[in-house]
Amino acid sequence: MSKAVLSISGLHATVEGKEILKGVDLEVAQGEIHALMGPNGSGKSTLAYTLMGHPKYVVTGGSATFDGEDLLPLTADARARLGLFLCFQYPTAIPGVSTVNFLRAALRAQGKEMPAREFLNRLSTEMQALKIDESFRARYINDGFSGGEKKRAEILQLAMLRPKLAILDETDSGLDVDALRTVADGVMRLCGPDMGVLVITHYPRILEHLHPDRVHVLHDGRVVTSGGADLAREIEREGYEPILGTAAAATA
Amino acid sequence: MPSSQRDEDWRRTDISSLHPDRFTPIEVADPAVVDAMRAQRDSADPKAAFVIDSPTPTPVEGADTLLAQGIILTTLEEAAMVHPELVQRALSSVRVDESKFTALWNALWRGGVFVYVPRGVEALVPVWVAHPAGGEDRATFPSTVVVLDEGAALTVIDAYASPSGPAALFSDAMVILSAGRDARLDYNTVQQWGEGVWHVALQRAVLDANAKLRFMGVTLGARLQKVWWEVLLDGIGSEADILGICFGDGTQHFDHQSLQAHVGAETRSNLLLKVAVRDHARSVYGGMIDVAPTAVHADGYVANRNLLLSQGAKADSIPRLEIRANDVKCGHGATAGHIDSDQRFYLMTRGVPPEEASSLIVRGFMDDVLDRVPHRGFAELAGALLEAEIAGGSVAGVTAGAQ
Repeated sequence: MSKAVLSISGLHATVEGKEILKGVDLEVAQGEIHALMGPNGSGKSTLAYTLMGHPKYVVTGGSATFDGEDLLPLTADARARLGLFLCFQYPTAIPGVSTVNFLRAALRAQGKEMPAREFLNRLSTEMQALKIDESFRARYINDGFSGGEKKRAEILQLAMLRPKLAILDETDSGLDVDALRTVADGVMRLCGPDMGVLVITHYPRILEHLHPDRVHVLHDGRVVTSGGADLAREIEREGYEPILGTAAAATA
Repeated sequence: MPSSQRDEDWRRTDISSLHPDRFTPIEVADPAVVDAMRAQRDSADPKAAFVIDSPTPTPVEGADTLLAQGIILTTLEEAAMVHPELVQRALSSVRVDESKFTALWNALWRGGVFVYVPRGVEALVPVWVAHPAGGEDRATFPSTVVVLDEGAALTVIDAYASPSGPAALFSDAMVILSAGRDARLDYNTVQQWGEGVWHVALQRAVLDANAKLRFMGVTLGARLQKVWWEVLLDGIGSEADILGICFGDGTQHFDHQSLQAHVGAETRSNLLLKVAVRDHARSVYGGMIDVAPTAVHADGYVANRNLLLSQGAKADSIPRLEIRANDVKCGHGATAGHIDSDQRFYLMTRGVPPEEASSLIVRGFMDDVLDRVPHRGFAELAGALLEAEIAGGSVAGVTAGAQ
């Protein structure tokens, strides 16, 4: 296994005083695709927000490093500049800030500025690949976008910013079959030795497109089992119960 | 003088430390300020005619095109002598004794700018009016009078500026816009007085049948300002879109009072003022839509959105409706809030540092208005001035001699 880009050990976190993460252990190697599954309320989105540094999520124990650097003392912007990216399940609208201006500010902040012509060419190419209409350049970020448009706009940002690791927080939810394929193809096109993915999902369907190297199951704030792509199929067939039953027995 | 104890109109704006008798009227326009204002015209719209409002006559610049179209572009003083009937027509909408400030203006104004566009003439270039001021303990009485005859069209930029710095100045301004039947007027104004300026202004438009006004006000400077933005929709089918942005910091105090007076039937008006205040800056807004019994099918809306950037900043908003006609559509809205923490977090997750994220959100808040301004050069100038204000702390006023 190559070098870990993300390394989480014994991570505990609370939201508004309630403990949600109760000792998460997880490693994602450079360029790998990992899936994080688990029933509702198991802490998947909390893990995503905690890793990204949302101020509402308070780490109470454990560690998380990114590319060997301690993530936890850093603010969200510093984490992003290290190469961490979060595709939001519910992206925020920012009226008045156009997609173009926003992307330029983000690229500048990350030291990835490029000449205007090159930027616009790349933006055009990525928008075409994601089947996003040209008019979205000037539209205010996520403002009045449909659910599917928001998800595609997130992947567009991913494509322009090229992080080392992208966390996709239920990016597949609310997408129809065609949109799911467009989004998944978009992600696969970007994946490679330079970019890994941690995809959080309820549904194995997106994993049929993404072919994860590893699948982890989160339950009650801990990773209770990990496996290969087969694990996702097993969950689709039989649900979480048999796995969680075994895991509960194993930890007992 | 009006008192915040006695006068309801002045309850939230205290001018007890303004003593007009301390100020002596300006005699000559400050050349450095004029140069800085001309540079703004050059960057935003080099083709626009440039007119300086000064007590001593100064030549109009770049007005050949307009003069060839038969447009009159001169000082208000001269117009009052040469075209008394036109000036009279415009001034009839203001009563000298409306307030202490209109009375003071009436007694002391000199120079001034007058524009008349004849019937059916569409001005080929905009008119850029500069109201410069400078010095210490000086008073200025800026005046802009615009008369559009039937079917005429014109774009005006009306700019107020003095050097940045604490020099005490007093500005008592009058703007009268008169749009004839079917006329179209785009009026853009920017107030960037220095930090020591007291600014009082009445900016009033009167619209005849089917006339269309697009008004854009940018408020950045002054120690304290109280302005009235008033549109009298007298003629049937007349329309007004009134936009404004205001950014303040330090201890700046802004008071905007608006009036959308619907008199004619089928009239439409829409006002949106966005204000962002930082440090201990304060904004007061009072907006009235008044619908006369004659204004059947009137459609009016007024909205004031405030963004509070510091704990010490404050914004009061009082929109009101007075409806005396049947079958009308009128509404108002007012909000005040801090920067949305989800928006800030979202920008930060893309690598944007927190201060820059806040700036982007403030710019976005304002760009939502600037994006609707038809004169793109003016919108870009306003955006650049705003950007400097957001980034640089208190930089009210022009940097005289720059560029």
